[in-house]
Amino acid sequence: MTSAVLEQFQRVGRDLFVAGLISSHGGNMSVRQGDRILITRRGSMLAHLEERDVVDIGLEENDANVALASTEIVVHRAIYAATSALAVVHTHPPYAIAQSLVKDEIVPMDSEGSYLLHKVPVVAAQLTAGSSEVAELLPQWLKEYDLVMLRGHGPFAIGHLLEEAYQLTSVLEMTCRILTISEGMGGEVKEYRKGSERYGSW
Amino acid sequence: MSHAISTLAPLHGLRVDLSRGIATAEESSADVARAYLGGRGLGACIALRERLYEVEPLAPENLLIFAPGPLTGTDAPASGRHSVTARSPLTGTLFDGNSGGSFGVALRGLGIDYLVVAGACETPSCLVIGGDAGGEGAAGGARGTAAGARGAAVGEVLAAPDGVQVALLPAGELWGMEVPTALARLRDAHPGAEASVIGPAGERGVLFASIVNNRGRSIGRGGLGAVMGAKRLKAVVVADHGRHRPVVADPDRLSFVAYEAEKLLKANPITSQALPEFGTAVLVNVLNQAGVLPTRNFRASQFEHAAAISGESLRRDFLQRRAACRGCGIGCARRTSTGDASGEGPEYESIWALGAACGVGDLKAIVEANYACNRAGLDTITMGSTIACAMEMTEEGVLPDGPRFGDAAAVIALCAATARREGLGDELAEGSARFAARLGRPELSMSVKSLELPAYDPRGMTGQGLGFATSNRGGCHLRANMLNPEILGVPKMIDRFATLGKAGLLINLQNLNAALDSLSLCKFTGFALKEDYYARLLSAVWGETVEPQELLRVGERIWNAERLFNLAAGFTRAADTLPRRLLEEPVPAGPAAGRVVDLEPMLAEYYLARGWDTDGRPRAGKLDRLSLSSAAVTAGLTAGEAGPTRSSSAPVPSAAAHGPGAAA
Repeated sequence: MTSAVLEQFQRVGRDLFVAGLISSHGGNMSVRQGDRILITRRGSMLAHLEERDVVDIGLEENDANVALASTEIVVHRAIYAATSALAVVHTHPPYAIAQSLVKDEIVPMDSEGSYLLHKVPVVAAQLTAGSSEVAELLPQWLKEYDLVMLRGHGPFAIGHLLEEAYQLTSVLEMTCRILTISEGMGGEVKEYRKGSERYGSW
Repeated sequence: MSHAISTLAPLHGLRVDLSRGIATAEESSADVARAYLGGRGLGACIALRERLYEVEPLAPENLLIFAPGPLTGTDAPASGRHSVTARSPLTGTLFDGNSGGSFGVALRGLGIDYLVVAGACETPSCLVIGGDAGGEGAAGGARGTAAGARGAAVGEVLAAPDGVQVALLPAGELWGMEVPTALARLRDAHPGAEASVIGPAGERGVLFASIVNNRGRSIGRGGLGAVMGAKRLKAVVVADHGRHRPVVADPDRLSFVAYEAEKLLKANPITSQALPEFGTAVLVNVLNQAGVLPTRNFRASQFEHAAAISGESLRRDFLQRRAACRGCGIGCARRTSTGDASGEGPEYESIWALGAACGVGDLKAIVEANYACNRAGLDTITMGSTIACAMEMTEEGVLPDGPRFGDAAAVIALCAATARREGLGDELAEGSARFAARLGRPELSMSVKSLELPAYDPRGMTGQGLGFATSNRGGCHLRANMLNPEILGVPKMIDRFATLGKAGLLINLQNLNAALDSLSLCKFTGFALKEDYYARLLSAVWGETVEPQELLRVGERIWNAERLFNLAAGFTRAADTLPRRLLEEPVPAGPAAGRVVDLEPMLAEYYLARGWDTDGRPRAGKLDRLSLSSAAVTAGLTAGEAGPTRSSSAPVPSAAAHGPGAAA
């Protein structure tokens, strides 16, 4: 792993925690490099990543490093197998999780979310952490959407760079905060966007 | 999509054999359409199927394949584009050019999804498709002269497949005319028709001659104009278009997605301000500041006269008006005037090639040299870079009395002399690789696979260097422009000097651009849009769900098909390289000072990420997943576990086989 790659992990990991998108030891992220994956270590603190916290493991085949890799390695592998993603970020943002508990899809009302997301599908699984059920379900949605919400658990975002996946995650949480606040205020929502009634079909 | 009736159907082709004077309708299956889309992808599919790697590029057996894509002529943004594919006389590789304008729209207006031009005329001719194709004087320069094209007298219609009249007419006095004059004559003869022509450079076999259409857009690179010239074909005219509108399965959905796409294009300062205001020349100052503007044949990477030849100067001193291709809201094209003359451009690459590369800081002279290239039908990048090569030869004492860096008058004169193949121009007409090799200094040609590099010094943006080295058509930025992430921060800024970790990003860009060239959409939309928008646009047109991942997989298939073609043509890993200067000579000054490209580790990472072996050959499993295994066999490449190996005893399936596996 080059220092430039480690620096990306450190920068994004720190920001994820500072922005309140993960708990102290929550979340995980990875990048794909050819037939290898660099993924955060199980139980690592993303805000304090060191070189030993990023594990180099095969894209398809296991090796001894699987003992160190994130719990979600099975899901990351499945995503890379099904999509052209080069980076995956998984977090536990509170407002997004709250919205996922009451909705089947999250449709932004704010401008930034509307431009960048249009719609975020919410998918449900009984076993939500590191499960083959999620590994089977999630990549199918990520073929069509760059960010998908796992109900009660958190979003998986993909991109060509870690920063891209991080941006989508950040925008989702901001969108969900705005939704939660505006829905709690009651009153009529003043629509300002042409064609927004179709975002559900995005 | 469930309520829309699918429009995904077999592609309607028109094949014209110039040698035999025959026009026939043909078809490529819906499977081919799904696997290759159209445009560049379809061209690669046909070229591989018909084994163009075995033909001499300037022989009659080479094909010229004109192909719009499934989005051409629809309401998708910036979709007025088409591709032309052939084996290149300059590079020997498979080569496609992609152009704006309305030529592709006109083809689709006649219900033609692709046009294959085979053979060669005995005497200079024009191909007229549609309308009263064979009407007297239809070629625009041949009135009353029945002698001429073999198999077709004036007024004779070769055929009318699907009701579309096709005529092959003597070019008459059009032959020898410069591009603007020929286009004007054709416009008078065929009001409202679209035309693609070659200039004197194409007629004389200049190996980097272009094909220019009546909207001022070019199939610029690779010498496809020379292929057309070798066929003695001056023009292809598509008349009376507009009878068919491309069928869109879900117009309402297309309108919605196109609206959302336009929102992003308007919100992005590159597509909504920089390109409309300054044209592509906006890059001159940006790249000079970053220390990646190649100067004097790449001896330096900053130019002291950059401001004088910048987009800002072009707007201030020469711009008449902006222009845009059909269906484009960006409008990067320029109509300019020097007072003495007016014309199209120059674009950024032309300003660089005829300017900084040659040490010329006189923008008026650059504009005039650009006009000279446009009139003659010459690729400005190869022209300028080849002159720059000659200038360095002069400085090195290899070329006595040759042109010197900074000599603007010499640049203008050499453009004209090259088009006429006169004097030194006759040697430059072969491109810099052949010219430099003949003079015993091949390292002074700044080219990859004999295609001159564009205006980016990869020593200051290493991913661009990997892109140049691995490009299937040679030194080119349009296969995947790492300018975006390395300089402009699209989608995000990455470390432009880093060596490793860029292969995956480059591959995704290469695959995406192959898909865009096949749809066919302008790559500039990629400054604001991602693959999910393109997939949704195509889904609306076809009425079938196309996932973004499928689009990228199509691009990957096209990339590997092109790779198979080049392998069959004899290219090996050794061709995936850069000019020695970029690998060994550090940048002398500026932000990239001291840098070279460390290519070998990048190549190794790239091949691995591509699923190729260490010699750059696609592995059997990769070919199988892309449904290209039988294509490899057809190409005489035995797809073994270690990847395809050239085999003379491999079975050759029927060339008539259709389907992605046969592309096939």
